[in-house]
Amino acid sequence: MISKTTFFFSRIVGCKVYDGNNSFIGRLVDIAVSTEHLNPDDNEPFRPKVKAILIKKSGKENFFKFSSIYVAKGNGRYMVYCNEPKFIAKKETKENLLLKESILDQQIVDINGRKVVRVNDIRLVTISEGVFAIAVDVGVEGLLRRIGIVKPLKFIFSLIRIHIPAEFILFDDIAAIDHTNLSIKLSKASSKLHTLHPSDLADIIEELGKVSKTTVFSALNEEKAADVLEELEPHEQVHIIENMTLEKAADVLEKMPANEAADLLDELEVEKAEMLLGEMEKESSKEVRELLEYPDKSVGSLMNTEVLSFSENITIDEVLNKLRIQKPDMEVLYNLFVVDKNEKLIATISLRDLVISQPQTPIHEIMKRDPISVYDYDEVDSLAEIISKYNMLAIPVTDKENKLEGMVVIDDVVEDLIGKRRTV
Amino acid sequence: MFKLKSRKSFFKRLLLFIAILGPGIITGSVDNDAGGITTYSVAGAVYGYSLLWTLIPSFIVLVVIQEMNARMGIVTGKGLADLIRENAGVKVTFFIFIGLLIADIGNTTTEFAGVAGSMEVFNVSKYISVPIVAFIVWILVVKGNYKIAERLFLIFSVSLLMYVVSAIMGKPHWGEIGTSIIHPKMEFDGKSLAMIIGLVGTTIAPWMQFYMQSSVIEKGLKMRQYKYTLLDIIVGCIATVVVAFFIIVACASTLHENNIPINEAKDAALALKPLAGKLASEVFAFGLFIASIFSATILPLATAFYVCEAFGFEAGIDKKWEDAREFYVLYTSIIVIGALIILMPNAPLIAISLWSQVVNGILLPVVLVCMILLVNNKKIMGRHVNKPANNIIGWVTVIILIGLSGMLLIMPLIK
Repeated sequence: MISKTTFFFSRIVGCKVYDGNNSFIGRLVDIAVSTEHLNPDDNEPFRPKVKAILIKKSGKENFFKFSSIYVAKGNGRYMVYCNEPKFIAKKETKENLLLKESILDQQIVDINGRKVVRVNDIRLVTISEGVFAIAVDVGVEGLLRRIGIVKPLKFIFSLIRIHIPAEFILFDDIAAIDHTNLSIKLSKASSKLHTLHPSDLADIIEELGKVSKTTVFSALNEEKAADVLEELEPHEQVHIIENMTLEKAADVLEKMPANEAADLLDELEVEKAEMLLGEMEKESSKEVRELLEYPDKSVGSLMNTEVLSFSENITIDEVLNKLRIQKPDMEVLYNLFVVDKNEKLIATISLRDLVISQPQTPIHEIMKRDPISVYDYDEVDSLAEIISKYNMLAIPVTDKENKLEGMVVIDDVVEDLIGKRRTV
Repeated sequence: MFKLKSRKSFFKRLLLFIAILGPGIITGSVDNDAGGITTYSVAGAVYGYSLLWTLIPSFIVLVVIQEMNARMGIVTGKGLADLIRENAGVKVTFFIFIGLLIADIGNTTTEFAGVAGSMEVFNVSKYISVPIVAFIVWILVVKGNYKIAERLFLIFSVSLLMYVVSAIMGKPHWGEIGTSIIHPKMEFDGKSLAMIIGLVGTTIAPWMQFYMQSSVIEKGLKMRQYKYTLLDIIVGCIATVVVAFFIIVACASTLHENNIPINEAKDAALALKPLAGKLASEVFAFGLFIASIFSATILPLATAFYVCEAFGFEAGIDKKWEDAREFYVLYTSIIVIGALIILMPNAPLIAISLWSQVVNGILLPVVLVCMILLVNNKKIMGRHVNKPANNIIGWVTVIILIGLSGMLLIMPLIK
């Protein structure tokens, strides 16, 4: 009998479990690991510690905790020994993560690889402090081990010098979905989700099952959630919104650009959209409602209503000060407009001219008059041509009276074009 | 202001239906592939109208099974391969997918046999038609736009309705057809039993369950669109059965009455020429050609996809080659193997199609049992678990299928 220091989870599932006196207490069903970092301050990678085991005996499944636990192998069989097993209620393991239920064979998010992977096995290690899960196996080797043909195959392949690839991901670098109470466990990793680019996160969310999608999404903070929601395919957006509480959905929608929020609401059932608009803050919902009024193919349905405009009589210094206070998004900052008293569009200012001119210069000296613009009820199809002809990053949108309503940025035009190609 | 729209008008409903339309109808069309057409032709030529009744139970079972798939897809958003892997573990999954892979390589071979056979009717050698079609299919998926191809095939598959023309040209005896459906007859000898299993097996192929579920997910359907989804499934299944019906009738009213036995769908097309005219023959062959290409595109793609899904490899035609190597290698190999077998002189085609049907026959009950267990699992399906009626039809189907397949396997041993 050899005590194992490292072993695979799949090897011990279904194995016999003995207590300190060598008497049989049941068969191992699952393992509950802690999701808390032992010493959050040190820089050690996070490893979940085994806290309790789920044992099945005569048809009944019970959780046990223990003073110490180790795994041994004898006669080709694995056995689990735990000292002083103590029965505990299921709810006491609520804070823990069940390896078989939530990780083995399930999809997890590989943070570094930025993709969804399926777990073939879990590697555990025994040290003096206890047993720890260190990595998930997502490679072919783990798969073959589970089928029970890894050793013979490895031997055959070694003859022809082919190496069966093993692929491990440290627990530190995954986000797993806890299926028992539908939350993202491994708290540290869930904060790592935030390090992913919204587009990558959107791709990951699209690949998960319906329940997991909602779980991963609700682990994000509002800002990130809004960014990710924007990147999702329309039917995925609808699914996510429908599975959130009205309150939270409204909060996320407020954080989105009004035109994206309007597009999303357009996909929803009318009643649901009305409820969300009612829940949103007045200011944001008013903007969105205005956009919703525009017909589908009109410029208005695509435009961004968040624009900055100035009067022609103020100085560059005043403009820069305003920008410092407002801290607008990049696309807003790059496209600044000049309007008269009646909000009518008269010119554009380039960021370049703003930066290279003297601070005391009045705006009307550097602005470019008679800008190219489109009407809000114009066809969307006309935009691409104008944008490419005049090399613009954004086109100002006005109503028939030339009042500035917003702008259409090149990103949205490109997205619209790609969308069209897809639906052909 | 953002106004509340009035209740959905008829046209709004119709539009909704058309938007949702797809998974069921495409699955139904792929169903009538080269293997299907061959089986139906042989059934018609050898047994006349007498096996037409099998289409009715097939239809019911087809609807029930596909409805379960659609429901699982809508509720969980997960593919059948995913669900089996997550709930049945690696070993069962491995068994199912090795079986699926073998059966599907066999089926793909049959599709290429269909291409070869149908083009031979137009005097094109298989050494020309098969490599060209294989290459086109491959390039279409890897470099082209699969979605457009799928739509295109769907339109083409309307040409399967040409079999109606083919059938009517053969001047069938409608009276006899009616009697044989109302008073089903069944002979318990090995051959007709094999034929019945063949008919049911070709109509309900295991891989279709995976395909159906994935397309429902890809469409992003919701539970409130369930009515339309169900309608889509029923329309698809009716299309399948109607086409099957007319192929059997076309062969029964001509080949069976003149005692011309056939082994392949191509034989049927050729034999129709003197009996029902050149046009009927060419229409038959063209239908076979379209059906074969359609399935030769979808089948390898779908197989590669499910295998990768189950074992956690990246898959999908939107992925780059280096990101989803396993997927592309698998996809390419299935096509290459299928095409190469056809190009071998004296390829044992009949044995291949027989054996892939046997593997299908063994696999189908296993997949169905997994499905019924999954769809009854409250943890997975919540309140959308099976109703008793679904379960009764489901289990009865499983038992009958196991019984039939078992008998077919044992029959040669008794003899």
